[in-house]
Amino acid sequence: MKRGLTDFSIHHPWLVIGIAVIITAFFATQFPNIKIDTDPEHMLSPDEPVLAFEHQTKIDFDLSDFIAVGIINEEGAFNPQTLNRVYNITAEIEEIEGVVVDDIMAPSTVDDIKQGDGGGLIIAPLMEDEIETQEQADYIFQRIKQNPVLRGKLASDDGKAMALFIPIESKDQSARIAGQIEHLTKEYGGDVKYHIAGLPVAEDSFGSQMFAQMAYAAPATFVVIFLLLFSFFRNFKIIVAPMVVAVMSVIWTMGLLIMTGNTVHIMSSMIPIFLIPIAVINSIYIISEFHGHFTKHQQKNAAIRHSISELFVPMLFVSLVAAVGFLALAITPIPPVQVFGVFIGFGTMVSWLLSITINPAFATLISTKTLHRFAESDESQGFLSRILHLIRDFSGKHRGGIIVGALVMVVISAVGLSLIVVNDNPVKWFKKSHPIRQADIAMNAHLAGTYMNYLVFEGIDDDDMKRPEVERYIEDIQKDLEEDITVGAAIGLPDIIKKVRYELFGADSSKMVLPTSQDEIAQMLFIFEMSGGDPDDLFKFVTPNYDKANVWVQLKNGDNRAVSHVVDRANDYMARHPLPMGIKAQWAGLPYINIVWQNLMVGGMREALLLAFLVVLIMMTSLFRSIKWGIISMLPLTITIMAIYAFIGFIGKPYDMPVAVLSTLTLGLSVDFAIQFIQRLRTAYRRTQDFQQALHDNFEGVGRAIMRNVLIISIGFVPMLFSSLVPYITVGAFFLAIELVSGLVTMFLLPAIARVFQKGLFPKPITKGEN
Amino acid sequence: MRITAIFSTVFLIGLMVFSDALMAQDTKDTKDAQKIMKKSHLAYYYAADDGVAEVTMTITDKRGKERVKEFVMLRLDEEEGGPQKYYTYFRKPSDISRLTFMVYKTPDGNDQRWIYVPSIDLIKPISADDKNSSFVGSHFSYEDVSGRHWSEDTHTLLYDSTLNGSKVWVIESIPKEKYKGFARKLSYIDQENYLPLIEKYFDKKDKLVRQFKAEQIEEIDGVVTMTVRSMENIKKGGKTIIQFSDISYNVGLDESLFTERYLKNPPRKYIK
Repeated sequence: MKRGLTDFSIHHPWLVIGIAVIITAFFATQFPNIKIDTDPEHMLSPDEPVLAFEHQTKIDFDLSDFIAVGIINEEGAFNPQTLNRVYNITAEIEEIEGVVVDDIMAPSTVDDIKQGDGGGLIIAPLMEDEIETQEQADYIFQRIKQNPVLRGKLASDDGKAMALFIPIESKDQSARIAGQIEHLTKEYGGDVKYHIAGLPVAEDSFGSQMFAQMAYAAPATFVVIFLLLFSFFRNFKIIVAPMVVAVMSVIWTMGLLIMTGNTVHIMSSMIPIFLIPIAVINSIYIISEFHGHFTKHQQKNAAIRHSISELFVPMLFVSLVAAVGFLALAITPIPPVQVFGVFIGFGTMVSWLLSITINPAFATLISTKTLHRFAESDESQGFLSRILHLIRDFSGKHRGGIIVGALVMVVISAVGLSLIVVNDNPVKWFKKSHPIRQADIAMNAHLAGTYMNYLVFEGIDDDDMKRPEVERYIEDIQKDLEEDITVGAAIGLPDIIKKVRYELFGADSSKMVLPTSQDEIAQMLFIFEMSGGDPDDLFKFVTPNYDKANVWVQLKNGDNRAVSHVVDRANDYMARHPLPMGIKAQWAGLPYINIVWQNLMVGGMREALLLAFLVVLIMMTSLFRSIKWGIISMLPLTITIMAIYAFIGFIGKPYDMPVAVLSTLTLGLSVDFAIQFIQRLRTAYRRTQDFQQALHDNFEGVGRAIMRNVLIISIGFVPMLFSSLVPYITVGAFFLAIELVSGLVTMFLLPAIARVFQKGLFPKPITKGEN
Repeated sequence: MRITAIFSTVFLIGLMVFSDALMAQDTKDTKDAQKIMKKSHLAYYYAADDGVAEVTMTITDKRGKERVKEFVMLRLDEEEGGPQKYYTYFRKPSDISRLTFMVYKTPDGNDQRWIYVPSIDLIKPISADDKNSSFVGSHFSYEDVSGRHWSEDTHTLLYDSTLNGSKVWVIESIPKEKYKGFARKLSYIDQENYLPLIEKYFDKKDKLVRQFKAEQIEEIDGVVTMTVRSMENIKKGGKTIIQFSDISYNVGLDESLFTERYLKNPPRKYIK
């Protein structure tokens, strides 16, 4: 088969290229059907119970996701100018398509519960019209401070910050709506700082920025890789093939993904970035080998055949191993990660197929004259050669030291691994300087928080939530939660009942307590409804049948660790204080969903990585027909994964979604060098029967190719380090680290091991070796 | 063939619209929308001089869950089209039973409202600032229950029509002053008894927000009475049905019933 494909490519180069172009064109036609989906809810399978509960909660309490708009003035935000500006901005926001107008929370839209004439109760808009005097502004501020439902939410206690909460019909509109709101704030201006925050904005904006980043990162990476290839091979024609292979692999893979109706999620958007190095690496081996052979023998077709036949098995294995690493992601319970794994696995095999056909086809088409010039570039004295010789000499002299060093590194890495902190927050996918991060920091410093979780209590019968012991339980757990530093406010039905009672009894603070009878609770709520209170406001906290209640737990920090801590605190509270008879409690909200899928992902990734590791070990053992070599070939990837993740542990970078997914890429990429090095070393040994000669040849041949790969991939992805999206920076840094660590481990450790265990690993052949 | 069919259809529709417009022009000249709305208001809100009825209010939220409130309602007109007094005694749900509520309605001023809260044994005045707020948590507002004075809107008779076999006037009402309740209202007024059969409320974007419907009309003690009415929230979902039973008119309610004393101690003559 290997001979067949190569020969076919040599004999019919145009046909091969033509077929590849046609298939590529076919897949390219799928691109207009692309569907973007950055909803983190879709990180979970649709039948995941937490999603069903989230949807039910949204229906039960008529909840929407929201955008938080912050208005901050360090000199004080409560003055007539600012309030009137906010009044007008709110009025204009009401006109924006996709905004749930009835549920906007702003000074001009919320109701205040206060005393009316004659000791009655009035529930009326907090700010009915534009105001004129500072007294009116102060009054509004005081009313917010005295209302448990609004305090900290609409205004900070120091009066320097104000917030509006804009509910939206669907999350995928949040970037657009946020843009329109930003436009309004610019139009109204003033001596205040405006901020726009909230998880939906971060998540939706990430989707759009992702593509902007791709449009910059992908070409930049391409150009850098192209330049590096040129600096090594000094021939434009020969290095076009690797670029074509990379582009085609990406188009086939993404085309198939779109064609099969899959959405492009945050994960799958990274497929092109992952595929480029995989595709380029194979081609570099071929060109390196071709270059070496052609320089010596000046025979084009023979050189092509030699390169492919020499590389066919290691390349096939490298690709299969990488593909297995990715396919293992299919066992994770996260649909977008499954899609990512399956398609990038497919892409890996596509790039292998294209490498062994397109490269020969292109090489065939290049004139011998051009090739002679290509062959003239002398390699024996270059910078690369000097490094190679240095490594060769060092690994020869200090073999024992290298092995000990590797062991020390493993031990240190184990310590680093134990320090890994699992954490994620979509807002932090943006750099600290990004407006979304700035908004998050500023607003959460002043106000009760831009992240909203819901703790839902569910009874068996209607009116269960009017039971005094149930209300008291909710009140107590709210108090407990509010002691957590992450919780800015926990607001529920008890707050409304107490506020009504307090105002009804003439602002008597001794009456700011829950009633002890169900009738009184029911009657306080009835008074709320009778006094102009909007029943819909009430039904954000309790269902109309009073069978379920909802505590709004507002969080200042959306880090999964912080959110988990709050959830654990509530669980702990409920363990210590059993819930009233027949009452159940359950969390909902976007921050909660994020921790659920993170937990699933961390567990899933661990299993996927272990599975991939085992399968790769079995593959290696069967490739080398030796358990010893199988284990040795796993060393570079094991040490690379351990070292990189230990580094993450040491520097305290959170183990987030991109970091988790990169573990399988690390596995796939870092096994490459080991396979090439060992396979070619053994082939050389079989040929020469001389270990020293084989090792020497190996450094000159595959060693040089490995060094080229290390340099091309690690430098090629440097442009990604300048991205404004953190996951992209992470990916760029990973490529750099994977290539450097696995390259160096392969080049130092494998020769050292080969030398130390030479007798066991390279037995003298019985037939020829005798005598 | 087909073209002809399309043309004749278009022509027929055009003719219908045109004749409708002609008729509207005609009726607009002869009838006074203002007068119709006044008569309708009186027929609907001021039937007889007083009245007592058992009321069942079924509130269905948008999830389809039902809540039922039952109360007795006493009404006394002080002057046809003028001030009225309402007294409401709640029976259900049981946790608000014995709660009473009283309104002095003044058409050209602010109403006065009081509530008696049995669990704390207190009478409290209740704000009447916002007539658009929900009436006891239903989809009806206070104003839907006690009536918006006809003089607050400009009425235009659009055209005559028929609705379920009854001839109706279709009248458009636009508030004279900027108003939160609606930007435009369409009323379908029965030409025989002046009762509103349908009312459609539109917001400032001219979207249909709420729809009122007369579900059942009966003659009781010689008075044409709407015994079942509904209000549907088209925009957000949900519907309230109010059903009147045991209706009696001109029972001779005394003014003294509408005082604080009776808030605490309901008149047993009418409330058993």
